[in-house]
Amino acid sequence: MNVDYLVNSLYLIKPELAIASALVLLVLIDLIMGNNKKFLPYVAIAGLIAAAYFIIGQFGMNSLAFVSKSNKGMIIADPFGAFFKGIVVFASLFVVYFSIKSDEIKASFERHGEYYTLIFGMILGMFFMISASDLILIYISLELVSFSSYVLAGFTKTALRNSEAALKYVIYGGVSSGIMLFGISILYGITGSTNLYEINSLIQSSSIPNLTFILSGILIFVGIGYKISAAPFHFWTPDVYEGAPITITAFLSVASKAAGFALLIRFIKITFIKSVDSAGYWQLVDLIDWKTFFIFLSIITMTLGNFAALWQDNLKRMLAYSSIAHAGYLLLGMAVLSNQGMIAIIIYFAVYAITNLGAFFVVMLIANKIGSENIDDYKGLGYSQPFLGVSLAIFLISLTGLPPTAGFIGKLYLFIALVDAKMITLAVIALLNSVVALYYYIRVLKNLFLSRPANGTFEFKVSFSNGLVLVLLAAPIIILGIYFTPLVDLAKNSMQILGF
Amino acid sequence: MHVPIEYFLVLSAFMFITGVAGVLTRRNAIVIFMSVELMLNSANLTLVTFSSYIGNPVGQLFVFFVMTVAAAEAAVGLAIIIALFRNKQTMNVDEINILKW
Amino acid sequence: MTQYIYLTVLLPLFGFLFNGIVGGRIKNEKIIGWIGSGTIGLSFLVAVSSFFQTLGLPAGDRKTIVTLFNWLHAGGLNINVSYQVDQLSLVMALIVTGVGFIIHVYSIGYMHGDKGFWRFFAYMNLFIFAMMNLVLGDNFVLLFLGWEGVGLCSYLLIGFWYDKKFEKGTTGDAAKKAFIVNRIGDFGFLLGMFLIYSTFGSLNFTEVFSRVDAYNVPASIFNFIALFLFVGAIGKSAQIPLFVWLPDAMAGPTPVSALIHAATMVTAGVYMVARCSIIFASAPAILTVIAIIGAFTAIFAASIGLVQNDIKKVLAYSTVSQLGYMFLAMGVGAFTSGIFHVMTHAFFKALLFLGAGSVIHSMHEEQDIQNYGGLKKYMPQTYFTFLIAALAISGIPPLSGFFSKDDILWNTFANGHIILWIIGAGTALLTAFYMFRLYFLIFEGKERFNLNKHPHESPKLMTIPLMVLAVLSAVGGFIGIPALFAGENGNLFESWLAPVFQKANTRLMVYGAHSGMEEITLMSITVIGAACAIYFARYVYLKNPQFALDTSRKFKGIYYLLLNKYFVDEIYDAAIVNPVKRGSERLLWKFTDVKIIDGAVNGTASLINYLSGKIRKIQTGVTQLYAMVMMIGLVIALFWIIMSL
Repeated sequence: MNVDYLVNSLYLIKPELAIASALVLLVLIDLIMGNNKKFLPYVAIAGLIAAAYFIIGQFGMNSLAFVSKSNKGMIIADPFGAFFKGIVVFASLFVVYFSIKSDEIKASFERHGEYYTLIFGMILGMFFMISASDLILIYISLELVSFSSYVLAGFTKTALRNSEAALKYVIYGGVSSGIMLFGISILYGITGSTNLYEINSLIQSSSIPNLTFILSGILIFVGIGYKISAAPFHFWTPDVYEGAPITITAFLSVASKAAGFALLIRFIKITFIKSVDSAGYWQLVDLIDWKTFFIFLSIITMTLGNFAALWQDNLKRMLAYSSIAHAGYLLLGMAVLSNQGMIAIIIYFAVYAITNLGAFFVVMLIANKIGSENIDDYKGLGYSQPFLGVSLAIFLISLTGLPPTAGFIGKLYLFIALVDAKMITLAVIALLNSVVALYYYIRVLKNLFLSRPANGTFEFKVSFSNGLVLVLLAAPIIILGIYFTPLVDLAKNSMQILGF
Repeated sequence: MHVPIEYFLVLSAFMFITGVAGVLTRRNAIVIFMSVELMLNSANLTLVTFSSYIGNPVGQLFVFFVMTVAAAEAAVGLAIIIALFRNKQTMNVDEINILKW
Repeated sequence: MTQYIYLTVLLPLFGFLFNGIVGGRIKNEKIIGWIGSGTIGLSFLVAVSSFFQTLGLPAGDRKTIVTLFNWLHAGGLNINVSYQVDQLSLVMALIVTGVGFIIHVYSIGYMHGDKGFWRFFAYMNLFIFAMMNLVLGDNFVLLFLGWEGVGLCSYLLIGFWYDKKFEKGTTGDAAKKAFIVNRIGDFGFLLGMFLIYSTFGSLNFTEVFSRVDAYNVPASIFNFIALFLFVGAIGKSAQIPLFVWLPDAMAGPTPVSALIHAATMVTAGVYMVARCSIIFASAPAILTVIAIIGAFTAIFAASIGLVQNDIKKVLAYSTVSQLGYMFLAMGVGAFTSGIFHVMTHAFFKALLFLGAGSVIHSMHEEQDIQNYGGLKKYMPQTYFTFLIAALAISGIPPLSGFFSKDDILWNTFANGHIILWIIGAGTALLTAFYMFRLYFLIFEGKERFNLNKHPHESPKLMTIPLMVLAVLSAVGGFIGIPALFAGENGNLFESWLAPVFQKANTRLMVYGAHSGMEEITLMSITVIGAACAIYFARYVYLKNPQFALDTSRKFKGIYYLLLNKYFVDEIYDAAIVNPVKRGSERLLWKFTDVKIIDGAVNGTASLINYLSGKIRKIQTGVTQLYAMVMMIGLVIALFWIIMSL
C-alpha cells in the first residue's frame, strides 16, 4: 500500500523527475567526458524535451501528490501548473540555445558542466515552486531557484559587474527569504500547519489572531514580491539583470518571474479563498485586503519601472526596468481577483515570455558582434541589418502593446478584465503608463531606423540557425496578434487550479 | 520547569530585529551574511517553539531543512564574496556600486 | 463546395501576398499576371460550384454559414470570422469574382509594360479579397473590414500613377479626395454599427435580423440606424451629396475604373442596404428618402453626362446615375430589382469601361471624345462590343439593361411613386441620348484626329474579355424576365432572391394589383423614348453637328452649368473645404495644436522626463539602501493594513 502510494505520487511529478534525472546526468557526463563539453547542451535539451512531454500529459490532471493523513497533499498536478511549467521549459529551451551561441558563456568553456547543472537546478526549483502547496516546499524550492541563480548571475567570475551583480543578488535574496521564512514560522504558529489547503480551511472555520495573521501574510509576500520584482522589492532587478550574463538575464526575466507569479496566484487563491461567485470573482477571507494591496503595488511597480526606464542607455538595463513595469501590469490582473483576471495574466505571460526572450536574443546577437549593449551604439542597425532590426522592432512593439502584435492582445485582455471589474481608474493609470513606456521603446526604434549607421559597423551575417530561432520567436507574436483564439483557449484551460 | 511561550517568541523576535539591523547597518559583506543567518535562526527558534507547544512535529522537521538551506546560503555567499574580492579587493558593500541608476 | 467558400477569400489573399512580396523581384509579367488573375479565376470556380450546390438545396435551406475561427470574444461581443453563403451573397460573389476575373485578364494586356505591373496586380487582388469579405461576411464587423479594405484599395489604385497630372493636381489628389469623402460615409456606417450593437446586443447578421422582430424597438431607433447606414452607402456608392469623388476616381487606370468604380465596389452600398433590408423596411420614412435621393441622383448625374467631353467622365457620371437607379429600387422596396440591376450594370458598365480603355489605349492616352471619330473601321471588335453595351444601358430589348431597368421602373410605378417613375423614365431617355452621343462621336463619322496616330485594335488579351462581357450584357437579362412574359416559372431571379427579402417585403406595403396591360404600356413608353433619344443623338452628332453647336450657344447658361457639373465641386470648396482648411490652419493648427496641445504634450513630456530622472536616482547601487527601502515599504504596508482594519 505504501509502495502504491509512493508510485502514484511519483507518477504525478514526472516532469520534475525528468529534470532531476537530467541534472544528475549532466553532472555525470561532465565528470566522465572531462574536457569534452559539447554534448552538455544537447543532454540539456533532451532533458527539457522529456519534461515538456510529461508536462503536456499534466494538462488533463487534477490531483495531489504526497497526500498526508488529513488528505492534503504537498504537490499539485493541475493544468495551471502545467501551463507555467510549460513556460519555464519553453524559456529554458531557448536559453540553452542562447547559451550555445553566447560569446560570454563560451568564454568560460571549462565550467560549462556547472553552468547547465545550475540551470537545471533552477528549473527544478521553479517546477516545485509552481506546483507546491506546502509552505516548507515553497520555501525550499524558492531557495533552490535563488541559490542557483546567485551563482549563475556571477558566472563569468572575471568581470567585476558580474560578481557585483551576484553579491547584490545574494544579499537581497537572503534578506527577503529570511523575512519570508520568519513569516512562515509565524503562520505555522497560529495555524499549526504548513499546508495551504489546511490553512485555508482553518482560517475559514475558526477565529485566529488578526494582527499576527496579517503580519505573517505580508512577511511571506516579501519573499514572493522579491521573486516577481514588485516594487518596493524590485531593487535587485536592474543591477542583477545588467550585471549577469545575458542568457541568465533572459532566463530570470521570463522563467523565474513565471514561477514567482504562479506561486503568488496559488498562494493567494488557495490560502485565502472563500468562494468563487458565478461571474468568476473570488471572495477572499476577510483578513487581509489583498485587493487594495495589489492595486497600490501594481501602480507603484509599473510607474517606477516605466519612469526609471526612460533614462536608460543600456538596453539590458532598460529591459530590466521594462520587466519591472510588466510585473506591474501583471499585478493588475491579480488586483481584479477574478478568473477573468487570471486568464488575462496567463495570456499576458505567454506573450511576455516569447517577446522578452526574443528581445534579449537580439540584444545578445548584437552584443556578440559589437560588444556593446548601449542604445547609442545601435544607430542605423535597421539599415545594415534589416532582419535583426525588424525583429527587434516587432519585439519592442509587442512589449509596448501596440496592435497587430500579441502584446496588444495581452494588454487588451488585461484591460477588459479591469473594465469588467469596474476598475476604470486603474485601467486609465495603466494606459497612461503604456504611453510612457511607448517613449522608451520607440527611442530604441528611432536609433535603429532613423539614424544612418557609421561606416563599417554591423558588418556581420546572421547565421541560418540564429535567423530561424529569431523567426520562431517573432512569427508567433504577429500571428497571435491577429489570430489569438488558440491563446485564449489555452488560457481558459490553464486557469484550472486544483480545488476550485 | 515550565517556560512560557512568550519568552521564546520575544527572544526570536529580538534576534530577527538584530539580524535586520545588522544587514542594514554593517558594511562588511561577511557580517551582513552573519546577520542574515541570525534572521534565519530566529525563524528556526520560532518554528521549534511552536512545534513543541502545539505538539506537531512538522515545525521541527522544517528546521532541519532551514539549517541545510542556511548552510548552502553561507557557502554560496562566501564563494561570491571571494570572487568579488579577487576583482575589487574590498568587502565593503557600500563601495560596490558600479551598477546603479 | 459551399463549405470551402472561404477559398474565394483566401485565394485572392494569396495572390496579393505572392504579388506583393515576390512580384517586385521576379518582374515577369506572365507569372505575375496569371497568378493575379488565376487566383481570381479559381475563386470564381469555387463560387460557381457553391452556387450549383446551393441551387440543389430546397429554397428554404439555402443559407450556409462557414465559420473559420472565433476572432474576438470579449464580454458580450462575440465575432467570428465566418462567411455566409446565401442567395444574395452568392449573386454578389459571382459578380465580383466573375467580372473581376475578366477584368484581371484584360489588365494583363492593358497594363503591359507598366513599371508598377506587380503592384497593380497586388492591389487588385487585395481589392478582391476585401470585397469578398464585404459580400460574404456574416457579421457587420467583417462587412466593415471589407468596406474599409475596398476603400483603401480604391485609394491605392486611383493614385496608382501617383505623379501623373490630373485636372488641377495629380492623381494622388484625386485618390485623397475619394478617400476623404468616403470617410464621411464610413463614419455614418460606423455610427450605425454602434447603434445596432447597443440596440440588438450583437453584430451578427442572423442574430440582429431575427431580433428585429423579437425585440420591441421604437421606430425612431430604426430610423436612426437606417439613416446612419444609408449615409455610409451614400459615401461608398456615390450618391448626392457625396458623389463628387467618383468622377475624379477616373484618374486611376481604366481597368480599375471598370472593376472598382463601376462593377463592384460602388455597388457595396446597394448590397449593404439589401442585406439589411429588414432594418430598412422597418424605417419606411428613410426608405422614401433613399428613393428620392436615388431618383434625383439618377437624373442629376445623367444631365451632367450629356455634355462631358472626357470619355471616362461620361461613363463615370453614367455610373453615378445608374447607382441612383439602384437606390431608387431599394427605396421603393424593390430589393430584387436593385440587385438585378447591380448585376446587369456590372456587365455592361464594365464592358463600356473596358471598351473605353481599349479606345484610349489605341489613341495613345487621348481621352477627349472631340478628338475621336470613325474608329469603327480601325477597331471592329471594340466597336461592336461597345455598341452592345450602349444598347444595353439604353434599355433596348432584349438586352440585359432593358429587363433590369424596366423592373425598377415598373416597381416604382406599381408602388405608387408616379413622380419618381417620371424622373426615372426621363433619366432613361437622357441615358440613351448621352450614351449614343458618346458612341457616335467615338466610332462613327469622320476621323477628327491626326491620322499619324494609327489607331489599332487591341490585343486578344483585351478583346476576348470584351466579347465575354458583351455576351453577358446581351443575354444576362434573361434570368430576370418579368413574370408577365416568363409564363409559369415566373421571374427566376426574383424567386431565387425571394427568401432573402421575404421578411422585408412582408413588412412593407404590398402594392395593389396592376394589370399586365399597364406594365406593357409603360415598358413601351420607355423603349420607344429610348429609341427616339438614340435617333435624336444620331441626328445631332452624326448628321447635323452644327445643331449641337447652335443649341449649346443658344442655351449657353445651361450648357455652361452642365459642363461644369453644376459647380458642385466649387460650391463644396467654397462652403466646406476652404473654411475647414482655413479654420484648421489658423485655429486648430497654429493655435490649438501648436500652443495648447503641443505645449501640454511637451510640458508633460518634460515633466515626466524630469521626474524619471529623479526616480531613477533611488537606485543608488548600494545594496543596503535597497534593503532599507524594502524594509520601509514593508513597514508602511503593515502599518497601512493595520490602520485600515
